[in-house]
Amino acid sequence: MKRSVVQSFWLALSGFGLLLVIGLPFWWVITGSIKLPREIIGRVPTMIPQSFTLQHFQKLLQASDFLVYLINSVLVSVASAIIVVVLAVPAAYAFFRMRFPGRNGLYRAILLAYAFPSIVILIPLYGMFSALGLIDSPLALIIVNVALALPFSIWMMRSFLSNVPREIEEAAVVDGAPPAVILVRIMIPLITPGIASVGIFAFISAWTEYLFASVLIVSDARRTIPVGFAGIIGQYQIDWGLLLAGATAAILPVVLLFAFVGRWFVAGLTEGAVK
Amino acid sequence: MSGLSLHAVRKRFGDTEVVGGVDLDIRDGEFVVFVGPSGCGKSTLLRLIAGLETTSSGQIHIDGRDVTGEDPVKRGIAMVFQTYALYPHMTVATNIGFPLEMGKRPKEEIDRKVAEIARTLHLEPYLQRKPRELSGGQRQRVAIGRAIVRQPGVFLFDEPLSNLDAELRIQMRLEIARLHQQLKTTMIYVTHDQVEAMTLASRIVVLRGGKIEQTGAPIELYENPDNSFVAGFIGSPKMNFLSAEVVGRTGSNEVVVSALQAGLRDLTVTPRGPAPAPGTPVTLGIRPEHFLPSPDQSAVGGTVSVIERLGGVSYVYVQLPDGSVVTVERREHEHIEPGQVHRFAVNPARVFLFDNAGFRV
Amino acid sequence: MKSTQLALSFVAPALLVLLAVLGWPLVQAVLLSFQNVKVIGSQGSFIGFGNYAKVLADQNFWGALGRSAIWVLANAVVQTALALGTALILNQKFPGVRIARTWVIITWIVPTVVVVIIWRWLLSSSGGMINPILIQLNLIERPIGFFQSRESAMTSLILINSWRWFPFTALMMLAALVNIPFELYEAGRIDGAGAWQRFKRITWPLLQPTLVVLGVVGTLLSFNVFDVIWLLTAGGPAGGTQTLPVLIYETAFKGYQLSEAATISVLTSIVLMGFALFMTRAMNSAEAQR
Repeated sequence: MKRSVVQSFWLALSGFGLLLVIGLPFWWVITGSIKLPREIIGRVPTMIPQSFTLQHFQKLLQASDFLVYLINSVLVSVASAIIVVVLAVPAAYAFFRMRFPGRNGLYRAILLAYAFPSIVILIPLYGMFSALGLIDSPLALIIVNVALALPFSIWMMRSFLSNVPREIEEAAVVDGAPPAVILVRIMIPLITPGIASVGIFAFISAWTEYLFASVLIVSDARRTIPVGFAGIIGQYQIDWGLLLAGATAAILPVVLLFAFVGRWFVAGLTEGAVK
Repeated sequence: MSGLSLHAVRKRFGDTEVVGGVDLDIRDGEFVVFVGPSGCGKSTLLRLIAGLETTSSGQIHIDGRDVTGEDPVKRGIAMVFQTYALYPHMTVATNIGFPLEMGKRPKEEIDRKVAEIARTLHLEPYLQRKPRELSGGQRQRVAIGRAIVRQPGVFLFDEPLSNLDAELRIQMRLEIARLHQQLKTTMIYVTHDQVEAMTLASRIVVLRGGKIEQTGAPIELYENPDNSFVAGFIGSPKMNFLSAEVVGRTGSNEVVVSALQAGLRDLTVTPRGPAPAPGTPVTLGIRPEHFLPSPDQSAVGGTVSVIERLGGVSYVYVQLPDGSVVTVERREHEHIEPGQVHRFAVNPARVFLFDNAGFRV
Repeated sequence: MKSTQLALSFVAPALLVLLAVLGWPLVQAVLLSFQNVKVIGSQGSFIGFGNYAKVLADQNFWGALGRSAIWVLANAVVQTALALGTALILNQKFPGVRIARTWVIITWIVPTVVVVIIWRWLLSSSGGMINPILIQLNLIERPIGFFQSRESAMTSLILINSWRWFPFTALMMLAALVNIPFELYEAGRIDGAGAWQRFKRITWPLLQPTLVVLGVVGTLLSFNVFDVIWLLTAGGPAGGTQTLPVLIYETAFKGYQLSEAATISVLTSIVLMGFALFMTRAMNSAEAQR
């Protein structure tokens, strides 16, 4: 199917537009973080940095516990991702490949979990965790992140599961495999891209979570990146250089991660294209 | 090796009854083929026997034991699926050995049996390959190997050849026949292809609308159908049906029929049962090979619309005066062309009589 | 039945977490709404529907509800349009499409605070990038105060939030698009259908189920957006961007009216539940009709 010249033109134009809209802001921020302050606030904005300095990053490391925030965020996000996968995969299998009474209702109820503003549960949760002595503990944050990511993760698993032909499961049943064995030996190996996608989704959701992290974590030593940086924004209102350095520092870890696993996430979702 | 019986088996999905009261006894070692049009319930019946579906009512006995409601693995059955359903991420060897693994057999036993089967099915060079690296025929054999390895009492085949091209289909058909001769295990085979049914079965079960229309040896169904559905389903090309009327009776339980609109007059036919009264409308069933060429100008005839030449045999489609089309089989390569007038006689001894409800008369 | 037990055991852990973290606190919040607790940790007594009467009579509540409605609607429109367009672009074959598909969601993988920093800087009147560029291009004469007026603040927030979310939504749509068999488009082309026709008659109908789920979940999620608004405008200027989540937060943590905040939360949840149920029922009947 050859594209006409006109179609190619529009495709290129919109593709370029997309690139600008998404890419430019990041370009500006990252290049801004190494510009001298006077170039940042200069009348004439520059696409290519005219100056170079690492002073903002130096100040960032001195003025804040950035590394600490980073470690905390990684810890919480990785743990959340793993637990989400462990819970979501069997649940999704039960919802979409097994039969039990109340299945449909329960599935819809789980999706409706998103109908409540997270703020609703913030206060009671604070009370709950306080009573359990879990305030300022990463565990509290992990539990909350898992709960927030679960419904959508289960929904995501649905399409991956449906790509496995039912006959393969039936063959396993005839061969005498109990459901747990079918799940572990047959289904899971066949849906690994899906599992990766769900894990990455959960990781990133936990990574960017702000509200609960700001309330459930109190001490600076346990703080995660989003809250840490909100603090920096508040403290250094118009020190653009510092803020840009902070933003860059917050972008780089996830970008790095995504450089490795990103194509799994996308491939898992767009498997159909390969067929 | 097990016998099988079904008592009053029914299955409904929601409001639709897909299998409506099936009674069937299958002897140990038989090769039974379930055949019928799409939606007749043959696959569902197979899955009920396998235990992949549960009956809405009725019982299933395998090897004398009531297995209704039991898990497939406890029924002593093995199944070959239409899409083979091989585990894509496992090697051929692991695929074949999987049932034994599930049965918790020791590793040496599994390896030994897998090697044995690989030898029998000529799969030895492929044991470490994954299914996607195999051809359709090879995958078929792996699926069969996985089924054989447990030495089941009953083999179930769910349209295993429909995904193969024509040539491979014939080859695999022979292999399955050979397999049955070798193993002598009871086999139940589902297909919509009546040629497969005729060539493989020791007994055919014709299904329609969830019920059994007739069972019997292939040649029996061919020569002695119980109703017009079976008569029309078995045999290719399809049997010709002409509307007719009983115009008279003779003393020796024969009737005289005329299919006036087709141009057929005063044919004497022997019914299977008691002769119906004159005036009864009937349907005549005549197979294409039972039309005889006739030079007689007053014989039945019409205009040739299409002629299909297959080499050794040709099928001539003749449009009769009333507009209906009959298929006539011819073995001589005469110069029959579309548009010509073609006359033929009917062999009265080979005419089937059916009443208006389709039952054999 | 054994298999039911097993299936339930597969679902149980996830269910337990959800009940503990979402279900139970929800119940607590409802209880809270019937009391008069002020500060966290303090005791309150049962006052029946007192809070509800107060909240429903409060102008602020209805104002926030209205702003939330605008927020949700505008986000839905902008995001859906951008996401659909992006998904269609990414569904084509061109050099670099693989990279594009992987990296387009970079706006989603970075923490919200980063998004906040980016746009607060870019849109600022002093030191930002957008204003100087617009001035350079002679599109405006003086810098625009993107967050100065209530309307411009709301608009800016909507665009920023859409910027953050539309690539992710686009990816979800793309996942559905790739499942449409290529042959359907080829058949359409042979039948003489132009690009728009092919979209309208092939793509759109087959995409609808996914769009529906994305629509419902997306709407619910955008309704609940808190951090972007809070960190950029804190609900201002003069409450011009005070959506319901912001109002709830302020009432609880700035106004020290915990029970009242809980009441607003419960009312909000009722609105959202109603919406979700209405949508799913409408979709089910549309499905049944087809």
